[in-house]
Amino acid sequence: MTARETLVGGIILALIAIALPVFGLGLAPGAAAPIYLVNATGQIMCFALLAMSVDLMWGGAGVLSLGHGLYFALGGYLIAMHLLRTAFADTGVLPDFLQFMGQQRFPEWWAPFDSSVFTLAIVVLAPALVAGLFGYVSFRSRVNGVYLSIITQALTYTAMLMMFRNNTGFGGNNGMTGFQKFAGLKIGGVECAVLLATVSAVAALAALVLGRAMLATRYGRLLAAIRDDEPRLRFLGYETLWIKLSAWCLSAVVAAFAGALYVPQVGIINPSLLDPSLSLEIAIWVAVGGRGGLLGATIGAILINGAKFWLAASAPTAWPFVLSGLVLLIALVLPNGLLDALGWRRRVRLSALSGLLPREAR
Amino acid sequence: MTYPAIQVLDLTVRFGDFVAIDRLTFGADYERVRGVIGPNGAGKTTLLDVITGKSKPESGDVLLDGQFNLADMSEAERALAGIGRKFQKPSVFEALTVAENLDLALRLYPKSLRRDIVAPMRRKREPIDRVLEQIGLAGSRNAVAGALSHGEKQWLEIGMVLIMNPKVLLLDEPVAGLSDAETERTAELVKALRSPERSIVIVEHDMNFVERVADQVTVLHEGRTLFDGSMADARKDPRVIDVYIGR
Repeated sequence: MTARETLVGGIILALIAIALPVFGLGLAPGAAAPIYLVNATGQIMCFALLAMSVDLMWGGAGVLSLGHGLYFALGGYLIAMHLLRTAFADTGVLPDFLQFMGQQRFPEWWAPFDSSVFTLAIVVLAPALVAGLFGYVSFRSRVNGVYLSIITQALTYTAMLMMFRNNTGFGGNNGMTGFQKFAGLKIGGVECAVLLATVSAVAALAALVLGRAMLATRYGRLLAAIRDDEPRLRFLGYETLWIKLSAWCLSAVVAAFAGALYVPQVGIINPSLLDPSLSLEIAIWVAVGGRGGLLGATIGAILINGAKFWLAASAPTAWPFVLSGLVLLIALVLPNGLLDALGWRRRVRLSALSGLLPREAR
Repeated sequence: MTYPAIQVLDLTVRFGDFVAIDRLTFGADYERVRGVIGPNGAGKTTLLDVITGKSKPESGDVLLDGQFNLADMSEAERALAGIGRKFQKPSVFEALTVAENLDLALRLYPKSLRRDIVAPMRRKREPIDRVLEQIGLAGSRNAVAGALSHGEKQWLEIGMVLIMNPKVLLLDEPVAGLSDAETERTAELVKALRSPERSIVIVEHDMNFVERVADQVTVLHEGRTLFDGSMADARKDPRVIDVYIGR
């Protein structure tokens, strides 16, 4: 952990957080950025946050989640419920998906979502609960390595199948859309786009700085010890279950928070966020940038998603090839990711697949 | 009446059809160093696994101080109760420094993880310095553990177990893969670790090392005790010669 990494990452994200309102709203003379650029940057900031949540567990504790799309989507669905309730309060028009289902009104239990405080609280509590339950069962049974990764993915896939059903009540295949306002600003307007993008960038900045500070404490070193040799830590008298579980829940909450910021920016949520391909891609962002310390995850998410936004416009068919090529290149040349090329890290050999393969039985 | 520090009574461990330990009774006293030797597959490491909670026995008891039955305790609880173990393969946290490894091993508040996490570093400084001195790594305090030599990792791991101040110190092959000079240093270290409040059990193949540091040896064979006594007598015992030392 170098202070230089915190400084560099902090400056990059702070510059983005400042540039978004300055250019987005044209605050300085001659400074103007089109709204789609502001919007794309905001989405990328959400992805950076999501990548950090995965890296906290993967780089931090050697636990690779291939299913963090679950928590990202959970945050997204919860904020969407809030946005639909407030849209209904404004317009009196029931969302399409409820009309298709022949409903006359919202289910009773949606009522608390009128409150933004309640929504914020549930965006934190729901993923913590889901992750807590899943993590407790898995970590207690000592499911590790590749087995855990597969289960995380299976759970997310199951959630996708469930959300595809219309009867589940969240818009099925089509998902939920038709949001009107966020924090009183019209969704789709410049002010709203700038607000959401700036909040996303500030959230990413806070996650990077606070997360790195946390990893530098004894708690962070306990996570590193779990990554390096979990049995050893147990035989030193630590119940590693609680250490892992707390980090896992925190990671899920960060991912959900990213999802809650993402969905108002794209204006729709549907089960595609639960598709395993998104969850796999997150691991790629982290691996390309470099595991551990959160900066690599941030850089990986920014670079890959930046390239994706750019290529999706200019050469959409090339994208899968570019991504696969990048993964192969990194795996061959820089197994610990782009940050490794800078040589700032403590010289420690981490096997290219550490955390992915089950630990050797002793 | 005084009890052995650690006692294993009528223990049987089975892995499928293979009986790793067969109705074994074993004990180790405070202030003493006991060597455990025997051919591969004799059940030496399995014995340590059962004492530390890594493997579950089919039947039999493990008693600490003759009265605390460890059967229902997790690995971590047993560690806090006073069972310290050094693994066969050096197991240190490679990404952390030597001092950070010792820092994690030293629990100021064994009952509260939260208080342990926020405990100030300065309160651990003195015991860490003392152990660094004992294991001869005072000059490497800020070195990353992954960069240490094999021997240094062995000593660091012994230091990590030592700083827990265990009642029972279990050392699984502490000199495997070490040079003669390193073996010599490890022997001195083990001798220095003797204490009236501690029992030391060493599983090792190097019989000269065992002879130097152990008061008594137990020879295991096919999960049973073949011989119990001094190393000098063990070398003369025809059964031991037959199954282990060779003619």
